[in-house]
Amino acid sequence: MNGIRFRLNGKDTCYEGSAADRLLDVLRDEYDMKSVKCGCKEGECGACAVLIDGVLINSCCVAMGAVDSHEILTVEGYRETARFEALSKAFADLSAVQCGFCIPGMILAAEALLSKNAHPTEQEVRTALSGNICRCTGYNAIVNAVMNAAKEGDGLW
Amino acid sequence: MVNGYKPTTLQEAVEIKGRTDAIPYAGGTDLMVKNIPDAVYLFLNDIDELKQITQDDEYIHIGAAVTFTQALADDLVPPLMKEAISRIAAPAIRNAGTFGGNLGNASDKADSVLAGFALDARVRLVSVSGERNIPFDDFCVRRGVTNIGDDELIAEILLPKEKCALPYYYKKIGGRSALAISRVAFAGAYEVRDGVIQAISATVIGEGKFTRYREVEATLIGKKVDEVRANADEYAERFIEKMTFIRGRVSTEYRKVVVTNLFKDYLASLE
Amino acid sequence: MKEICRSVKKKDHDPKIEGRSVYVDDYNLSANGSKILCGRLLHSIYAKAKVLSVTVPELPEGYFWVDRNDVPGDNNVNIVLDDTPVFCRDTVEYIGESIGMIAGPDEKVVEELLKKVEVEYEELEPMLDLRNGKETFFDYHFGHGDVEKAFAEADKVYEEEFITGYQDQTYLEPQGMMAEPEEDGRMFVHGSLQCPYYVHGAVARALGTGPEGVHILQDVTGGGFGGKEDYPSILGCQVAVAAKKSGQPVRCVYHRREDLEFTPKRHPSLCKYKLAVKDGRVTAVDADIRFDAGAYSTLSAVVLQRGIIAAPGIYNIPNVNVTGKAVKTNTAPCGAYRGFGAPQTFFAIEMMMDHIAQDMGVDSIEFKQKHFVKQGDMTSTQGRYHFPVPIPAMLDEVDELCDLKRKHIEYSKPQSGRYRRGIGFSSIFHGAGFTGSGERDIIKATAKLRKYADGTVEVLASNGDIGQGVRTTFPKIVAHELNIPLEKVYYSHPDTARVPDSGPTVASRSLMTVGELLRRAAIKLRDIWEDGKEQEVEERYKQPDFMIPFYLDRFEGDAYPTYAWAVSAVEVEIDTYTGVVEILGAYGNFDVGTPVDYNIVVGQMEGGFLQGLGYASIEKMNYDAKGRIRNNSFTDYLVPTSMDVPNLVAKMHVEEYPGGPYGAKGAGELPLVAPPAAYLEAVEMALGGMKKHRLNAIPFSTEDVILELNKEVL
Repeated sequence: MNGIRFRLNGKDTCYEGSAADRLLDVLRDEYDMKSVKCGCKEGECGACAVLIDGVLINSCCVAMGAVDSHEILTVEGYRETARFEALSKAFADLSAVQCGFCIPGMILAAEALLSKNAHPTEQEVRTALSGNICRCTGYNAIVNAVMNAAKEGDGLW
Repeated sequence: MVNGYKPTTLQEAVEIKGRTDAIPYAGGTDLMVKNIPDAVYLFLNDIDELKQITQDDEYIHIGAAVTFTQALADDLVPPLMKEAISRIAAPAIRNAGTFGGNLGNASDKADSVLAGFALDARVRLVSVSGERNIPFDDFCVRRGVTNIGDDELIAEILLPKEKCALPYYYKKIGGRSALAISRVAFAGAYEVRDGVIQAISATVIGEGKFTRYREVEATLIGKKVDEVRANADEYAERFIEKMTFIRGRVSTEYRKVVVTNLFKDYLASLE
Repeated sequence: MKEICRSVKKKDHDPKIEGRSVYVDDYNLSANGSKILCGRLLHSIYAKAKVLSVTVPELPEGYFWVDRNDVPGDNNVNIVLDDTPVFCRDTVEYIGESIGMIAGPDEKVVEELLKKVEVEYEELEPMLDLRNGKETFFDYHFGHGDVEKAFAEADKVYEEEFITGYQDQTYLEPQGMMAEPEEDGRMFVHGSLQCPYYVHGAVARALGTGPEGVHILQDVTGGGFGGKEDYPSILGCQVAVAAKKSGQPVRCVYHRREDLEFTPKRHPSLCKYKLAVKDGRVTAVDADIRFDAGAYSTLSAVVLQRGIIAAPGIYNIPNVNVTGKAVKTNTAPCGAYRGFGAPQTFFAIEMMMDHIAQDMGVDSIEFKQKHFVKQGDMTSTQGRYHFPVPIPAMLDEVDELCDLKRKHIEYSKPQSGRYRRGIGFSSIFHGAGFTGSGERDIIKATAKLRKYADGTVEVLASNGDIGQGVRTTFPKIVAHELNIPLEKVYYSHPDTARVPDSGPTVASRSLMTVGELLRRAAIKLRDIWEDGKEQEVEERYKQPDFMIPFYLDRFEGDAYPTYAWAVSAVEVEIDTYTGVVEILGAYGNFDVGTPVDYNIVVGQMEGGFLQGLGYASIEKMNYDAKGRIRNNSFTDYLVPTSMDVPNLVAKMHVEEYPGGPYGAKGAGELPLVAPPAAYLEAVEMALGGMKKHRLNAIPFSTEDVILELNKEVL
């Protein structure tokens, strides 16, 4: 019973490695969750953001022991949902995905916002995405896509 | 678990702290960046007692493992504190970062600590041999150093309710609009009755350390607010004279000028 | 708007948003199922030193030390000149230069071993002075007219210096390359890169195999902006040498701090300008331009060329004298970054024109407008602006967007109070495609279309999608000409084993130049189309007939066939208590010809615009007296977040170019170039104008605002 038990994308699992290991590394290397990107490993870019109990967290700043008995969602799990579909369509409509590296984190940041606030203002969207650096888009397309998803996906959140 | 302890009660946590060198882990946001080799962590993030925001007659109690996001949604947390923590980094960091971590980390740029200083906050430290309840002033020694004992854990911070109710002034300047460490920040709370200053606090990020110049504050008490406002420059100068700006990434000149301006603005804004 | 402009769903949208795209760090195993060794580099800790000895600790089984002695071919990386070593020679020339690599199965072990490598250095005095540096990699000079006479006859001569700092590309995916030895003896190198054939040439040379011995694949690439133009050639050689030595796949992915500190950035610059004014008009420009090249020449030649050609800006100045130097310093080599030398000189000339106008007491918009080049005018290199110059119309459109002209006069009046406003204006061109005759003489691009029996068509070209959308826009052009559904045309990430050399992904050339080849190839294919049959067509680059031949030795002729144009206005409010500059609005009007996909092009404009604003304001990076860059983390090198410029407006103005597909011109770099001067002019105006605070350096931060204001007090 020494392992770290948690739920990953709806499935129970147990991690037998060190409690000091970094969630980012464990998700990528042990669980093959490659949507979780490493941009800086210092909590300053959001590329590795995941949802822990529905809350947006940078997985580079989490040690495994902290997730014991918690529930983690990555894009690998989220992409099966209708909410994801709505966001994906809104992003596609505005060509908001350029290099793509920030996008999984960005999508989860959008979900974290919309799940608490289904009809955000632009300012609220910008605040919610402010820890997710995108160097390609200048953010307009992404912000507008999240606004559109909220509008079009009415009822999903 | 391997390389970690995950107690579910504070008592248990304190016992582990007393007998091991495990590093207290609350939110992880600063700790994990340090990349400490062969670290063994004492995980505090699932101890319910440390995640409560409560009040008694005198204090608002904020548990050491309360996250900034949690506090922002809680009606007990005073507006000055909320304003300060609402501009910490970005949502993912506010969702993980904690009051205990912010204080224990001994950074001279901790936004919640700044607000705490302005509000005469105290910290409750616990260990197997007992507990201490001390003001922030005594806890924060200098940048990188606190006077926490090897066997102690931060249990909670306490904000005096009478201070929490006061009008306040807050300003933060970072390098950009989000994801920004405070280059300079200012927090103050004050009480004016019948045009006379009854109580006042003023504290900054930017000097390179946290402190309160209580003797200078004391000279303002009993003064007419009109007079202080009218002579804000002069009164601000009394604070600035006391300050020693420690070298940092941002030039001393910048920090000094902005701190001065904010002091003036604060005193001029009293009402 | 034309049919081709209509936005489509990007071809790589689904895999990217679903997190299925495989970036180089995402491979679990090599292509043949082998485990991948982790390679990490040992970087020099001195800016200049002799390497007297390197003592490698005893390595566990399966771990390898790799250095220059392991390079089977030539230890020089093929870039423009060949002065950049794969692994350092007898001396190290900058902090971060690669001395060697340790490769092995476990990254943590590799890191531990690296710490145990002992390097004995003899420290030497580094050169760290752009202003006084004597050693230059390149030294150019050109001009026309009689500059001396113009200065002698001038009513007034203006002189000023302008300084720009580093800018890091800050692609979100750090540099990363991987090499895999194949069974047939070839070396397969792939990773995050812009120019597969550049890497191909470099790796073939380092391994000494000849071009047949290697092939290069571009993996999904998390941003480039120029930063992955040359560096992947270096890192590609290093992993290839390690893979050769170990006989196993080796991957090296940079950590963010390594990437920020050691990989190429935009050249810092020092531009000295001297302008002659007679009867209210600028009659001569003399520009002395110095770029900080860093320790090796890499791409500095071509960056400098583009920079100096743009030195007189978009102004018709009859007498021109320009010198340009790429100065060697013992710092990380600078390279390509969106704009490629032009942002520095445009910043200088735009500020200069503004300052002259202020001195003359006239509105700088009017003053600049009086000098705008127009169709038929001579370029700085005695070529011609062959096509209409839409700048006046674009300026009027920006004026409509933000009330520019009125505010420009209004905010120039004295202001008092804590908050003060300014609005700045800048207009620029970006020469479309390679400078000079590079396209014709060096690149000689070839692109192909292969039609399969089932009627699908594959684009074969070597231009990588780095976010700018060529995996979508190339097929769009082909599908349009063939009149078949877009789903029937696809463009995979290029592998040099399969695709011809259509040139690198640089210079805003992919869509304009290669897109046009594909359009013509598609017409060819349409003409010979036979159902059910596999068919292939090829198209080669041909220089447009109208171009005046360009001679690089004299900088004479048409440096570019045509130009993209941009007008930017930036409105700010400064808080004089704190120095905080709030950007109230940033307005850009961009002419890239026909936008071949409206959303994609607008996305390029908005992204580049924000990078330009970052460059001007918060993106601060420099080296200290030891040659060390301390702003090497995301805590210390700040790029804009979603909250920094909420009101950023990009408008498209279309002036079609007959030489590009459907009238398209180069796009990617354009939006970054104008914002810096517009931003700084706005800040200067808010501070009370040049006579109170003459600003001539970027980045200009919150801190600089206060230091500048503080001068007033003292």
